[in-house]
Amino acid sequence: MNRSACLESLVPHITDQLVVPSVSGQWIWGHLTKEHDGNLLLGSMGNALGVGLGMALGLPHRKVIVIESDGSVLLSLFNLPTLGALKPDNLVVFVFDNEKYSGSRISRPSATAAGTDLAAVARDCGISHAVEVRDLDSFKRESQGALSRQGLGFVVAKVEETLEHRQAERSTADLTENKYRFVRYIERTEGKAVFRGRG
Amino acid sequence: MEPELASKLVNGLKAAGINFVTYLPETRLSQILPLMRQDEFFQLAPVASEAEGVSIAAGAALGGKQVASYMEGTGVFVSTYNLLTIAERFGIPMLLLVSYVGSAADKRNSFLYVRRGTRMIPVLEALGIEYQIVTDGENLETRIKDAVRMMHALKLPVVLLFTGEFTV
Amino acid sequence: MIRYECFEWMAPLIDDHLVVTSLSGQRVEWGHLSNREGNLLLGSMGNALAVGCGLAMALPHRRVVVLESDGSILLSLFNLPTVANLGPQNLSVFVFDNQIYSGTRISEPTATAGKTDLEIIARGAGIEDAVTVRDLETFKKAALPALTGSGLNFIVAKVEESRGHRKIQRTNMDLLENKYRFVRYIEKTEGKPIFLGRG
Repeated sequence: MNRSACLESLVPHITDQLVVPSVSGQWIWGHLTKEHDGNLLLGSMGNALGVGLGMALGLPHRKVIVIESDGSVLLSLFNLPTLGALKPDNLVVFVFDNEKYSGSRISRPSATAAGTDLAAVARDCGISHAVEVRDLDSFKRESQGALSRQGLGFVVAKVEETLEHRQAERSTADLTENKYRFVRYIERTEGKAVFRGRG
Repeated sequence: MEPELASKLVNGLKAAGINFVTYLPETRLSQILPLMRQDEFFQLAPVASEAEGVSIAAGAALGGKQVASYMEGTGVFVSTYNLLTIAERFGIPMLLLVSYVGSAADKRNSFLYVRRGTRMIPVLEALGIEYQIVTDGENLETRIKDAVRMMHALKLPVVLLFTGEFTV
Repeated sequence: MIRYECFEWMAPLIDDHLVVTSLSGQRVEWGHLSNREGNLLLGSMGNALAVGCGLAMALPHRRVVVLESDGSILLSLFNLPTVANLGPQNLSVFVFDNQIYSGTRISEPTATAGKTDLEIIARGAGIEDAVTVRDLETFKKAALPALTGSGLNFIVAKVEESRGHRKIQRTNMDLLENKYRFVRYIEKTEGKPIFLGRG
């Protein structure tokens, strides 16, 4: 299964969700949804689950989508029991698991290549709806289900390694500019102040 | 500075894309000025104080130029206010070409200059401004390009401190 | 004459001008009357004229308007000969001279309350088109060609101290956010990239 195809299948379903991509697919996603002000670009591994969880707790009436990878989830595996304990019902996590540290030119296998089953780990942590999918039709079914229902979703998508992201058009908006855009979107859509300081 | 080194420096700036330079003349690197003036690639803005050198460069950077401000080391002290209130606070990519007077390798060092040299790095570090010390022409073009790439990545000033062979 | 009434008259005349303000009440008042993408509200004294000059040099086909104050100009008087000799023909400098350091609570007089005449200094520096105006009608007569025509203009507007800006709610758009908005506006209107780094 191809990650880009999965991400493309999500695009028509994006309306006012808040999307937090980790480094996996961040350029592809950013390019596919460049008009969407609700993307929060983190630009680091091991943070998207934690930030997305906080956002879901802070805005319980908004749907939050986290786009993760195997390497990044493994870097912050301690997020999973916390997620399972807090169970925000407005959070959907997609983990694109290519079983590799793929951004590193050498493509070393990650622990999921050796048998670690992230969906099983998630279920053991109390994320009861965690599923693994291996083909695009299953991905579409599970992702659309997770996006439309109330409840914590966790979809591990087994994908092949690709270097397509290297061709994706990258934005010149840096993390700080993206933060302003994202926060102003929240302010606009929530009708409340996020930035407080005045000068 | 040997004429050959001066042209290497100017060519390095050009290769890195720097096309707008504010300056207040000083001694050690001054041979670069006639070279830049001969070349239409560079837009030059002579200033009366390094303080405005930084601010004018900032305005030009926001207008789409790739900018540098050339000054003596003392100019860093004069322009700390502008470096902080404009360049740092707004996050403006800008190259500072600074003759590192009074530094250990300054071939013209004397009691006149030495404290301006020894206080330079503590001041830059207090301002949170990245710097590189350049003592000779080796890999000069690469080092300038590295600094320019870093200034764009940071959206902040990056300082090149020229001493050693540049102060001959 | 007070600064605010000058601004009220000026604000509707701003089209694709780039407007750079200094600190103090004028930043608050201008930002309140004219929330435009071409505004660069610097928030420091002694910088607006120089930044405006650099902008004008980089974009010689755009009209740049600098809003200054007596205290700020006095802090960077060395700008005047520099600007005169660089001679950008697309720069209009307005100095709202209330003859007071008005932000200081104690309203200490500036040098212009004494013997100093900024118009004569500007002229002596080489800015030929320098005038002083003392009432709103004269201000409009001098300001209209400066906003709609060409050249390097320097208008000293003698105004009364006013503290109206203290009643205006200040922006929560900080300097970085203002920079991003301003630069993206120039990129959009000039059709060229300014931010170069990509992720």
